[in-house]
Formats: sequence, structure tokens, C-alpha cells
Amino acid sequence: MPFSTIATPEAKPVANYKMATRMEGGRLLYISGQVAWDATGNIVGKGDVRAQARQVFENLRGVLRAAGGDLTNLMKITTYITKLEDFPAVAQARSEVFQGELPASTLIVVKALFHPDFLIEVEGVAAV
Amino acid sequence: MDRRDILAERPVESGRGFMPGVSVNPSSVLFTAGLTGRGPDGKLVPGGMAPQARRTFERLQAILARADARFDNVVKQLTYVTDIDAYNASGRAERNKFFGARPASTGLVVRRLADPAMLIEVELVVDLGGSGAGKPLLDKYNVENHGGDFYQGVIVNGGRLLYLAGQVSNNPDGSVAGVNDWRRQAEKVYENIGHVLRAAGATPASAVKETTWVLNIDSWRQGGAPVRREFYKGDFPASTLVEIPGLARPEFLVEIEVIAAIA
Repeated sequence: MPFSTIATPEAKPVANYKMATRMEGGRLLYISGQVAWDATGNIVGKGDVRAQARQVFENLRGVLRAAGGDLTNLMKITTYITKLEDFPAVAQARSEVFQGELPASTLIVVKALFHPDFLIEVEGVAAV
Repeated sequence: MDRRDILAERPVESGRGFMPGVSVNPSSVLFTAGLTGRGPDGKLVPGGMAPQARRTFERLQAILARADARFDNVVKQLTYVTDIDAYNASGRAERNKFFGARPASTGLVVRRLADPAMLIEVELVVDLGGSGAGKPLLDKYNVENHGGDFYQGVIVNGGRLLYLAGQVSNNPDGSVAGVNDWRRQAEKVYENIGHVLRAAGATPASAVKETTWVLNIDSWRQGGAPVRREFYKGDFPASTLVEIPGLARPEFLVEIEVIAAIA
């Protein structure tokens, strides 16, 4: 991988993600916040955060693939949700997608996303 | 310029103002602070969303110009608004007057920005191309005398970028430090940031961009901002401060993410 993982016993993550990643080579890829759109722009899983999360990560994977990489190239993701109660379902969907450790990660509850039907948005930075 | 627009072949994305992904050779990259619709006197321009948005992008344009860049060089745009209807009605049109090329983009509706009347804040990541060779690793600058504890633009020439996970007030055993205590949480968060930076061979001065997510901006200013000033000792990153309704655990009052760079 064109990045390395930073860990320290003095500051540990609160869940299964990397504390920090350092780019060591390759191209820097910024990925737009992905929402639960299918290829034609229909919202997948209206009212169902688990279904939305699956679609979001599928979309994220699609952008990475188009850039010549995959989920393992991600250095950092930011997950935005609209309700803290949705977090367990999102965390579970995320663990199904990422085998092993997540990238460096941030979780934020926002007031809303850019369409009222969107319950989750995930953006990423990758080294490809 | 060595920019590649990454399209994942989805018709939904064509004709919109953003690109699903943008990749660059990170030889020279500019990170801006979150900019807002403040006028030259520091006060928000009157008139609501459209004038605030126009002013925001004019100010960003000046930051780009100082780095010999244009909006077409923007790799990533992050837009925070407090009123999505106002943004859709008039803010987006102002934004589109400035952009030709489509950056990767994220849009969020947040609870509050620095000033309660602030409707929009925008931050950018910009590809400057060139090699960055022979230049200092970090070039931190302002284009206005804003008097705040941040730089409006930070250019990274050549080094290795470091992305930290959002740091929260947790102890190594997983317990939360400083429940209901803004100052203690700020101290713990910066302690954790310091540990991670050190583990990566960096220091507080290596910080390029910082985003501070808080549950209450007024409480943060009182309890957290002094801790932050002590941490950076004047050598601030470009930064953004946003009020949101929640973080991963109900006890967390603040989460801070940092991008840094080392040689």
C-alpha cells in the first residue's frame, strides 16, 4: 500500500479503525461524499439506514475501482449520519464491507444532508 | 497539472457540479480554512445566503490567487450550510459562477457556524501542480488581517500527508475523560492529537488543516479555545469550526480531525 499506518499505545481508537495514516507514495484521491444513489439516481433504502449504508459503500468502492484501487487504498473516511441511533446499524454495515481494520475514521452527526431522504453520507481520501 | 477526474460511469453524476473523485500527484497541495461571508470589516455581509455565498467564494478566490491557483484547480470542496433551502434557492447558483471544472464535493447541513447568522462556510483542497522542490515544506499564509487563530491557506510542498482519525476525549482504556467538562475534553483531545503526531514523526507545527466539530460553539470558545492556543503556540493550521448535534458517543463534546505533513 502507498500509505503506512500510525499507531501509539498512548492514544487508542474507540473502535476498529486506524488512528492515522501517512501517505508514502502514489496518487492522492479525494472522493466526494457518497450517498445512497443507485446508478440512475434513485435513492436506495428510503428510511432504511442499513440499506443506505450498503449502497453508500458500494458507491465508494465504485469510485475507488474507477481510480484503479479498492477499499484497501482508503487512508481516511468520514461518515456523516443524521441520527446517532443509526450508528450501530451503520457500524455493522461498515464492518461487513471492510475486512479487518477500517481506515482512519471520523463519525459526525449532522443536522441534515443535502436531501431529506439521505440518512448517511461517507467521503474518503485514498492513496492509489 | 496532473489531475485525473474519476467518473464511475454513473449517469446520475453527469451534469452536476461535482466529480465523484479527483486524483492528483500530491507534489504541491493547498488546504484552505473554512471561509465565510464576512466583509472586510469582519462582519457578515447583509442580505442572506446569496451575498454570503458570493463573498465566501470571492474570499476563497483571493486565497487561491495568492497560490497562483484558480477554482479549476480545486480537488475537493466541502460546503457547510445551516439552511439547505436557502442554499438551493440562491447559494448554489453563486457557487456555480466560480467553478468550471468539477471538484470532488461534500455538502453538509450543520447546526451552527462561527456566527449564528452565518449561512454558509466553504473549505477547499487545491492541486497546485509543479514539483514543490526547493520550497519550504509548509507555506502558511493569510490574505486578510482577520485576527483569528488560524491561517487562511496552507501549502504543502512535497512532503508526506498524514491523515488523523477524528480525535475524541477517550483514555487508552476506552473510558471518556472529562464528561460534561469542555476544558478537560479539549486537553485530552489535544493530548491524543499530540501523541499521534509524535508517533508519525510530526509535531503540532506540522498540522496543515484542522476541523473542529463541537456540540456548542460558545462552550468551546470558553473551555476549548485556550487549550487549542496553548497546543499550537501561534503556529496554527488552516481550520474550520462547526457546531453539530452529535458525535459517536453521547459523552463526547468535541471531535477534532487533523491533516498534517512531514518531509
